Amino acid sequence: MSNPRRRYRHHADLLVWGLAAVLAWILPAGAAAADGSWQAQPYQLGQGLYFPQQSLRVGGYADIHFYSLDKHRAALSVEDLSLFLSRDIGTHWKLFSETELGDALVIDSQHATTKDANIDVERLYADYHTRSGITLRFGKFLTPVGQWNLVHADPLVWTVSRPLTTTGSFSRHASGAMLYGTVSLMHNDLDYWLFADDSKALAFTRSHNLAFTDYGASSTLRNDFQHAIGGQFLYHMLDDRLSLGASYVRYALKNPQQQYRLTGIDFGWSGRHVEFSGEGIWRTADSPQVPDEYGGYVQAVVPLPRHLYAVGRYERYRNSLPSQWVTLRTFGIDYRPESGLSLKLEYRDGNNNAALAPNGVLASIGVLF
Amino acid sequence: MPSLSSRRLVVLGVLVVAGTFARYAKAAPAGESKIAVIVSSHAHDAQAIDPGMLRNIYLKKIFVDPQGHAYIPVNLPPDSRLRQAFSRAAIGMSELRLQNYWNQQYFQGVSPPYVLGSEAAVVEFVAKTPGAIGYVKPCFVTADVHAVLLLTLPAASSLQPAGACPDRATH
Repeated sequence: MSNPRRRYRHHADLLVWGLAAVLAWILPAGAAAADGSWQAQPYQLGQGLYFPQQSLRVGGYADIHFYSLDKHRAALSVEDLSLFLSRDIGTHWKLFSETELGDALVIDSQHATTKDANIDVERLYADYHTRSGITLRFGKFLTPVGQWNLVHADPLVWTVSRPLTTTGSFSRHASGAMLYGTVSLMHNDLDYWLFADDSKALAFTRSHNLAFTDYGASSTLRNDFQHAIGGQFLYHMLDDRLSLGASYVRYALKNPQQQYRLTGIDFGWSGRHVEFSGEGIWRTADSPQVPDEYGGYVQAVVPLPRHLYAVGRYERYRNSLPSQWVTLRTFGIDYRPESGLSLKLEYRDGNNNAALAPNGVLASIGVLF
Repeated sequence: MPSLSSRRLVVLGVLVVAGTFARYAKAAPAGESKIAVIVSSHAHDAQAIDPGMLRNIYLKKIFVDPQGHAYIPVNLPPDSRLRQAFSRAAIGMSELRLQNYWNQQYFQGVSPPYVLGSEAAVVEFVAKTPGAIGYVKPCFVTADVHAVLLLTLPAASSLQPAGACPDRATH
């Protein structure tokens, strides 16, 4: 997308798509608005604004990041401005979209620029609730591998930086169909997601599928699905205080054109004084020339007084291009004065990490609105 | 007659203490606080709802019943003592944990149950709305709604501030 004319045309296409989607949702609702049963709820940060007569919820999140990394100029970035629209249609259908304006403004010591700004339809799907515990989803959605990818918004995660494990080896988005829900298994809940992707035929918007997204990452490798099929299971125990997950995806990437198999595991444990979570993945390629890629992280969060949380994370990741081990250690503090608002400050260092996630200080302010 | 006067005072004191005990024993016996989970009495086939199902309906993990009819759970305002007791008894989460849960669900496009302002409003709404599920103190249950589940709260839970129940006869 380096050609500016092509890029603007792409943005214009996206705007038209977005506008058409919004009108399609709102106009019929306005005409059908008749049920006065619901009272509008008072606005609450982190829950969006609800229009009961249209069954429409409007919300999103925004975050500003600051980073000062080794061999990079310190900078401030208006990182994400995401808009959510969700609308119930009758009792069984729901539409949801997330449109994101990314890197809207970057300011460093020498200049301010909007040249990296981009608009992306992160998610656009319809859900159909078929029967108890089974929902069908059609459209573009987040790939169900691990928990971080499914809930990755800055105000909802504990660190500014994202673990390499959650982006390095698979596409963060999929386009196609998904079956998901919750069933009871041995008196506990089992969440499941089963999906089939045909991005080659269905992807009508560009996705942010850079394999390594951290500031300072020099890799331009992308993980765009061509086709994929897979799923994830997440088993909840001890009144939801412990969850264990497993995922498997068989997929082909656009470039390098190659077939892969990815196996993932994840866990979360929430105690009174500490919370642990972690994910691990192992990816193998059908071609013996492509080395395996694997790694994982463990993260601990300790609540402190006055809405403060101490966060520590240790990650090891073996990249395939170039083939090397990367180690990352992240220590941070998170201040959450109220629900939906998060201020973070963290320090990161590691080994062999200069190309993917350089050492330095990162900070952010994120709000879910 | 100072001795007679003292005897009268003692008898009066004993009566007051006994009366107070009797009153409290009647108003809030240990383990008697309950929450009634209600659906419309006019529902054609009101399903039995077990605690696990109730939890998943309120967490919006289950959207429709086995026949494909939509569930519409309704909540009381966040500062309601009954809601807080319900969250602990039925969902097993504090309001803070629930808030975090709903923030994550909101990101995934799922909104928390609708909020109605009072128990009377919950009864009225549930009575009129197919698929609606609410919770109230048992003394609010009317002929228009059907209690499908009674949640027993720990003895320490007190949900009965004076005058909290409507004047009409309880069911």
